[in-house]
Amino acid sequence: MRKYVLFLTLLLLASCSGAKGPESAAPAQGQRLRFAVMPKALEIPVFNYAKIGAERQAKEYGNVDILWNAPVTADQLKQKELLESYITQRVDGIAISALNGDFLTETINKAVDAGIPVVTWDSDAPKSKRVAFYGVDDFASGRIMGEETGRLLNGKGKVAIITSYGATNLQRRLDGIKEGLGKFPGLEIVEVFDIKEDSVRCAELIATGTKRYPDLAAWLSTGGWPIFTRNATTAIDPAKTKMISFDTIQPGLDLLREGKVTVLIGQKYFGWGSEAVKLLYDLKHGKNPPATIIDSGVDVVTKENVEDYAAKWKKMESGG
Amino acid sequence: MKKIWQIREFSTVVILVLEILFFTWWLWPDGNRSHPFLNAGNGVLILKYSAIYGIAAVGAAIVIISGGIDLAPGAVIALAGVVAAQLYVVQGWALGSSMTVGVLVGLASGLLTAALVVIVKLPPFIATLGVMGITRGIAFIITEGQYFDVSSRLLGGWRPFGLPADWVAPIIMVTLAIVFQILMTAFQWGRAVFAVGGNETAALFSGIAVNRVKTSVYVISGVLAAVSGVVLVLVQGQGKADLATGYELDIIASSVVGGASLAGGRGSVIGAVLGTLIFGVLRNALPQIPGATFYDRLIVGLVVIVIVVVDQLLLKKRG
Repeated sequence: MRKYVLFLTLLLLASCSGAKGPESAAPAQGQRLRFAVMPKALEIPVFNYAKIGAERQAKEYGNVDILWNAPVTADQLKQKELLESYITQRVDGIAISALNGDFLTETINKAVDAGIPVVTWDSDAPKSKRVAFYGVDDFASGRIMGEETGRLLNGKGKVAIITSYGATNLQRRLDGIKEGLGKFPGLEIVEVFDIKEDSVRCAELIATGTKRYPDLAAWLSTGGWPIFTRNATTAIDPAKTKMISFDTIQPGLDLLREGKVTVLIGQKYFGWGSEAVKLLYDLKHGKNPPATIIDSGVDVVTKENVEDYAAKWKKMESGG
Repeated sequence: MKKIWQIREFSTVVILVLEILFFTWWLWPDGNRSHPFLNAGNGVLILKYSAIYGIAAVGAAIVIISGGIDLAPGAVIALAGVVAAQLYVVQGWALGSSMTVGVLVGLASGLLTAALVVIVKLPPFIATLGVMGITRGIAFIITEGQYFDVSSRLLGGWRPFGLPADWVAPIIMVTLAIVFQILMTAFQWGRAVFAVGGNETAALFSGIAVNRVKTSVYVISGVLAAVSGVVLVLVQGQGKADLATGYELDIIASSVVGGASLAGGRGSVIGAVLGTLIFGVLRNALPQIPGATFYDRLIVGLVVIVIVVVDQLLLKKRG
């Protein structure tokens, strides 16, 4: 019996010892600010540029610490747990790319109610009380992708789409793509593949999908999985099938130069981090964002403008 | 009467307390900030998320003690949650009936595993690997990649007996841990589980109904994983097929850190729950350290190895 009593006592101590009530979220004079910046998952390569952007902005301010963290893989529950832990830790601000906006809405609201400003970037939680969202207008960019595909294929042919169900931004891109493609009655969507945010699964799906639909005119992807690795697109014969994808990180640009990919839609990767930190910093200093939805715009990269784009990228990556 | 330091759970408690003290010191705030780690809200948070693993770990530890292994808890958590949420949100069933059917999903998956192990004589690793695939697969078939928003029907949140939802999972975890610890140590069934895990042939010759014991442990593991899934859906507000992916390894690791031997015959239910708390504290505290992001998995791996090695050394010393 004694060991049960001991266990319960220590458990109680572990959970409640030294409890302090929450204090004001306003920064004291000269105090450093701790901003939690959270991508959807650490394994997704584009988010590393957001980290560079956030850290560069923090360095510029001089009194900001960035807590960069996320689940390793796209695990919504772990992202929610992490978000909740940042609330109990009383960080000074949270910038998050939501894996599932609806799932996080209640928790984001809890943070805002506790006096912690929350901004979203890349993937929004539109029903929540987040102060602002910075990222692309996903529906519009998806529509651009669909229309561009229609033009490239002269309005006819079979297309397959790669996406990952669950994330609000990807769903909106998918809806936009469908609307863009819908303007060309000769285009047929043969399948929408769910790759569950997994680049390895993406390579496998492209290979099996290409075998299953040998007359496919184009692959469209709402995320950058096909271009995150050089091998994902090897099953595609570029003379027969075009690849049009979101994201412009390497080796995507090389694949574009080699003709394996036809069009890439680039987002403001560095801006995800730097702009989100700016928004939080301004909020902590009483300055409200210019709008609730801040459209970052997109870069449409093709073989014609890839070198200009690569030069700009290099400058940003080195902190310029 | 055993001396307190000879109780296996004591060393797990010591590790947990040392871990808490370490992070309390490491994360000591500057200026007049409140402590980011050592506060009541954070304590409840650690317990709330650890409970998702902890409830299932109670069952997983019993399976491990019996000499088996269960790889299905993560998938059963998801399927039970999805079924309960589908019945509640789409079919419009009452909350209690939906959740009961969710728990019955765990019973069914446990019976299936038991049949594969006891009747078909499959190794537990293979049987539960198959059941993991089947249950996760059914969850995806039901949801078709979407999710069921339980919170839309539970407006204002779920407050059983007026308690905050955040407290429910920890209370269930602690209750189950105590009940099953008593069953495992003070009842004949529990002693039979240890005997089967220690030496199955000897257990058989001493008159223990080995197949019945094996069936019971897999059914308990399935049901407790389903309870975890149902609680998860109620607390988190969504039923989704990919929730708790890969959690089975965390659950098994918690049991091992809590003193269970994968060879069977040794372990403790309370130790497994303490193991989930050790991981819960790490999961909570490491992200608070700037720059630790890419190191935390390394640290978790090292912690598992160090704890198990120290446990082995202590075991030799005690033996």
